[in-house]
Amino acid sequence: MDVTIINPFIASVTDVMPQLGFGNIVLKEQIEKSKKITASGIVLTLGIVGDKKGNVAYSIDTEGAKQIASTMMMGMPVDELDDMAKSAISELSNMLTANATINFSNDGINVDISPPTMLTGEDIELSMSKDQVMCVQFDIDGIKLEINVALD
Amino acid sequence: MENIRVMIVDDSSFSIAVLKRMLEKDGMEIVATALNMSEAIKKAQEMKPDLITMDMTLPDGDGIECSKEILKHLNDTKIIAISAMMDEEIINRAKKVGIKGYLQKPVDQSDLDSAIERLFEGEELYKVLKSNFEEAFKESIFSFLKREIGGEITVEKVLTHPMTTNSSGISVAIGIIGRHDGRLIMDMSEDTALGMTKKILQDDSQKIDDAINFLSEFTNVIAGNACSLLNGLNRSFGLRVSPPTVFRGKDITISIGDIMSESFLIKTDLGDVFMNVGFQKGAVEWM
Repeated sequence: MDVTIINPFIASVTDVMPQLGFGNIVLKEQIEKSKKITASGIVLTLGIVGDKKGNVAYSIDTEGAKQIASTMMMGMPVDELDDMAKSAISELSNMLTANATINFSNDGINVDISPPTMLTGEDIELSMSKDQVMCVQFDIDGIKLEINVALD
Repeated sequence: MENIRVMIVDDSSFSIAVLKRMLEKDGMEIVATALNMSEAIKKAQEMKPDLITMDMTLPDGDGIECSKEILKHLNDTKIIAISAMMDEEIINRAKKVGIKGYLQKPVDQSDLDSAIERLFEGEELYKVLKSNFEEAFKESIFSFLKREIGGEITVEKVLTHPMTTNSSGISVAIGIIGRHDGRLIMDMSEDTALGMTKKILQDDSQKIDDAINFLSEFTNVIAGNACSLLNGLNRSFGLRVSPPTVFRGKDITISIGDIMSESFLIKTDLGDVFMNVGFQKGAVEWM
């Protein structure tokens, strides 16, 4: 498993999430998957170009996304994933990926990222740009966040 | 640099006169001048200038405080600090409140010109992008389908699109990265994707995985060709496309309302294709 690809994302989660008001961040699992991934709830994907090329996909279940949006909006109750809550989640994916690019540049790898694309649904089948996809799962205050990275 | 509306803030009427002459030489319109902070805040809100030159020492406050107050209400206004005083600490404070550049007095014309040019170059580029991207993507998808699929192809712009759209079965997202970043989303049903794959490869045994590969490459070609066309208009766009991500499933909703984008419905003999493409204005970096 190529840890140089996933470590910048792990560091990003452990740096960014506490700043947003999350307390307990546990890295649950780190595995290598094949090209196809299944996800339910919210999926956000961002393109990456530069010294490395590929994409990253974040997935969070709907309940988790509501909790994240609520915490990001200073504890405002979020009963449904309205545009405001979606925008918060979208901004989170942007922050996490932007932070990962800073971590990459500290390793001498320069990359740029695109705006996120957000999808919602059940059992979404994702085909990433590469056959080996690095996957990490976090438990963040009881919320499951999965990050899939395909980078060449 | 014409059509840029400027306000000059400086506690010295001599400095205002000097700056006014330089800015007018570049064809800019001076819409207001202010000798102190309270006047500057009031006039900024009234005139909403595109650019403010800001002195750092003002009789009733400082340029940092004044800029912070002005930027609270005006998102699109750009502020350049012009002051006799310049050190690392004040530059950092200026950056923090959203001032875009710092020039030390006495300012010469060429330094002022190049600072303003760089500051507004992104705006100009965004305007050019905004008025050309639709045509580039329409042209790109039309010529691909005409060449590869043939038959009757029509590309219609969807005049008003909601914040979200429902997927017909398979969606592809491609990120576009450059001076201004963007995104291309392509969506069609599995039947349409399979039909196109079979037609292009002239092979009826194609399966859904082949269709996913086709759609991924199809989107990549459309994005690549359109971005090349746009880069040809102005190399400063520097647009590059990221590899595609393909989504497949029932009841998938795609958010498209988060950035300025346009949607198109493409009708072909093998079924409809939905295309959404949009760009967001890249931030002006510190100069």
